[in-house]
Amino acid sequence: MFGLIKTWKALEARGIMGINRRNADYVLKYNKRHLYPIVDDKIITKERALAAGIHVPEMYGVIETEKEIEKLDQIIGGRNDFVIKPAQGAGGDGIMVIADRFEDRYRTVSGKIISHEEIEHQISSILTGLYSLGGHRDRALIEYRVTPDQIFKSISYEGVPDIRIIVLMGYPVMAMLRLPTRQSGGKANLHQGAIGVGVDLATGVTLRGTWLNNIISKHPDTTNSVDGVQLPTWDGFMKLAAGCYELCGLGYIGVDMVLDQEKGPLILELNARPGLNIQIANDCGLTQRTHAIEAHLEALAKEGITEDAEQRVRVAQGLFGHVPGH
Amino acid sequence: MRSLTLHLKVLITVLVLLGVAVTAYQILVLGIPVTEDETDDLWNIDAKIEFVASTKDPVKVQMFVPPLNRDYVSLNESFISNNYGVSVNRADGNRKVTWSARRASGNQTLYYRLVLTKRYSTEKAKIKGPTFRDSLAVDGPEKIAAEALMAPIRQHSADVETFVGETIKRVNNLNDDNVKLLLAGDTSSLKKAQVIDLLLSIAHVPMERVHTIRLVADTPQTPELWLRSFNGNDWLYFNPDTGEQGLPSDRLLWWTGDDNLITVDGGKKANVTFSMNNSEMNAIRLAKLTDENTDADFLEYSLYGLPLQTQQTFMIMVMIPIGVLVILILRNLIGIQTLGTFTPVLIALAFRETQLGFGIVLFTVITALGLSLRSYLEHLKLQMLPRLSVVLTFVVVLIAAISLFSHKLGLERGLSVALFPMVILTMTIERLSITWEERGGGHAMKVAIGTLFAASLAHLLMMVPELVYFVFTFPAVLLILVGFMLAMGRYRGYRLTELVRFKAFLKKADA
Repeated sequence: MFGLIKTWKALEARGIMGINRRNADYVLKYNKRHLYPIVDDKIITKERALAAGIHVPEMYGVIETEKEIEKLDQIIGGRNDFVIKPAQGAGGDGIMVIADRFEDRYRTVSGKIISHEEIEHQISSILTGLYSLGGHRDRALIEYRVTPDQIFKSISYEGVPDIRIIVLMGYPVMAMLRLPTRQSGGKANLHQGAIGVGVDLATGVTLRGTWLNNIISKHPDTTNSVDGVQLPTWDGFMKLAAGCYELCGLGYIGVDMVLDQEKGPLILELNARPGLNIQIANDCGLTQRTHAIEAHLEALAKEGITEDAEQRVRVAQGLFGHVPGH
Repeated sequence: MRSLTLHLKVLITVLVLLGVAVTAYQILVLGIPVTEDETDDLWNIDAKIEFVASTKDPVKVQMFVPPLNRDYVSLNESFISNNYGVSVNRADGNRKVTWSARRASGNQTLYYRLVLTKRYSTEKAKIKGPTFRDSLAVDGPEKIAAEALMAPIRQHSADVETFVGETIKRVNNLNDDNVKLLLAGDTSSLKKAQVIDLLLSIAHVPMERVHTIRLVADTPQTPELWLRSFNGNDWLYFNPDTGEQGLPSDRLLWWTGDDNLITVDGGKKANVTFSMNNSEMNAIRLAKLTDENTDADFLEYSLYGLPLQTQQTFMIMVMIPIGVLVILILRNLIGIQTLGTFTPVLIALAFRETQLGFGIVLFTVITALGLSLRSYLEHLKLQMLPRLSVVLTFVVVLIAAISLFSHKLGLERGLSVALFPMVILTMTIERLSITWEERGGGHAMKVAIGTLFAASLAHLLMMVPELVYFVFTFPAVLLILVGFMLAMGRYRGYRLTELVRFKAFLKKADA
């Protein structure tokens, strides 16, 4: 019992945010309920992003009813690779990534061969709401398959590594690179076994990582170091993330982005309840950073100034950047 | 934000104060006991009369009610009926209530409620009864059979008591040809009573039919038939089926004689259901209250003012917030993961029917079998709704099979599963299998165990009799609960499991 109180005190001293605090002080306070559909439905997110001139993976088509599944061939056209996603999926569930196809069969990114029927079943499952939040009917989204930049080749196992930045009122507060592992089956979600690697906000250099709640510095599959890697076009990512506040109006979000070989930084999705493991990846608590931003906002409010995305990125980089290396 | 916090604090304070104040008023001013008083047996008996009135004729319903001349004292008696005239009259030691109405149509429901307690008095009233009567007319083969039976009965008996006992014993010997003839293939208590009556009448021994109700809480029942005979000093009671002598102390005499419990003129399909419970009120205080203030009775404004069957439902319902509170604490304070938000509460309610141990076994078995079916269906690539329907049907069949099986094995507990909510089981199976696929078997097991643990804990807490009594008697306690829940709504501290989850930070700090 005494040990628990000690742990509690130590975590609090380091500013580690728990689920209850995140929900009470950030998600409930900054995220208005009526704006949730913008981030919960990936199709709406995409449309909003396109309207705002923010780069997203190209959308090939949307399937809304069972009848429309017939149009799948037409939507795919001559393309060899594509991704099928539930518009309102949560936690990466229900996503199917097709890497190649030959004759009537498809090959997923993990090498599994599947038939056309299986794809249709997957879409049908998506439509009935199997993967959606709350289980109501959903839409299936077919989009461009991102080819990750070569930089990730040595520190990633299959799949697409993505970059998550937590953004409070438009100010990036913490960033993490998520690397798929053999265990995560090519998915970049931490609870499925992917690695989270902290990223310095100012420079875009990676720090140590977290895997299954432990701190690590090497990729378990490739055994290459995950720390000290310079992410290309880092400022581009930061600006993209900061701009998402204007895009959706939600004050506390996790922005998931990818670095495509040809198209550069793209926004994959937004999350209104971003996870807390990013703290382990950065070896740093969120609470101190969010308090710093809230103090900064209060100061600005007194002077009646609002800052644009670029200014906000610079403020965040000044406040939280240049973490001393390990 | 600050004003919101203040608002919340005020709200919580008001709710808690209100809850405490109402409860304190009930305890201190009204004098309601804080715990159940087991020594005072106070019975609430509800008789619900249902029938279908015919549209043309006036309706007249006559029903026997307890005469209450011995052993029991009535604290409160009420006849609940809309638009019916009520009158009570005594005849031949019985009491009869008559409800009447000029016009009524459709389904009718009348209530008779009696609150009574045992009379603890030593003085005995003088009892009178018949000691002689004429023989009933009988002839032909029945007469010969009756006389053949009488001879050994006379031989084996010394007085009225042994005579009646012997007669009942003989009549219950179903292998006897004479008995077979007299019973004419009907072995019900009623027919036996008739035959016993006939035999006793030949010997001029008086006999009366007595209809009793057993004072047992929460079990539906129908009046039980006993026989009694007067030996000059006292009534002797006999059970027509077993020959057992002496009326058990938990029997309440409802009426005597050969008539039916209820007669309905101008209606049909009359049906009487009894429900009773052993009330938790202190009998002496209640008696005082019912005597002193008859119309401003505070019980009218408590849950005790509801009909008895509704009361029993509410006893379960008022405990649901307690169960929800358990889930709230387990999830937000401890951090245990469960399937869905309130699924554990629903499972906990289901455990009421099955008992905990058996419920857990049943839940595990059905869920495990359902999961294997679900994984098989996965290969067939079905859509969600048809798949769920198949799983649900499978669950129903499974439950039926388990019931049948356990019944054949003589385990009555197996029959209780009938009410185990099948839809909840189906949804549990579905969600568990998705969790399994997406997050792996380990996580699914963790969630399943968390759910079962939360359900068991909620169930155990919801079944504590003292707690049930307390919440049911002092419902204002729920306001205090709401206050706590509101406070939990802005709890920002860590969950217990997070202390483990973020341990990595501390290891680093130490190194």
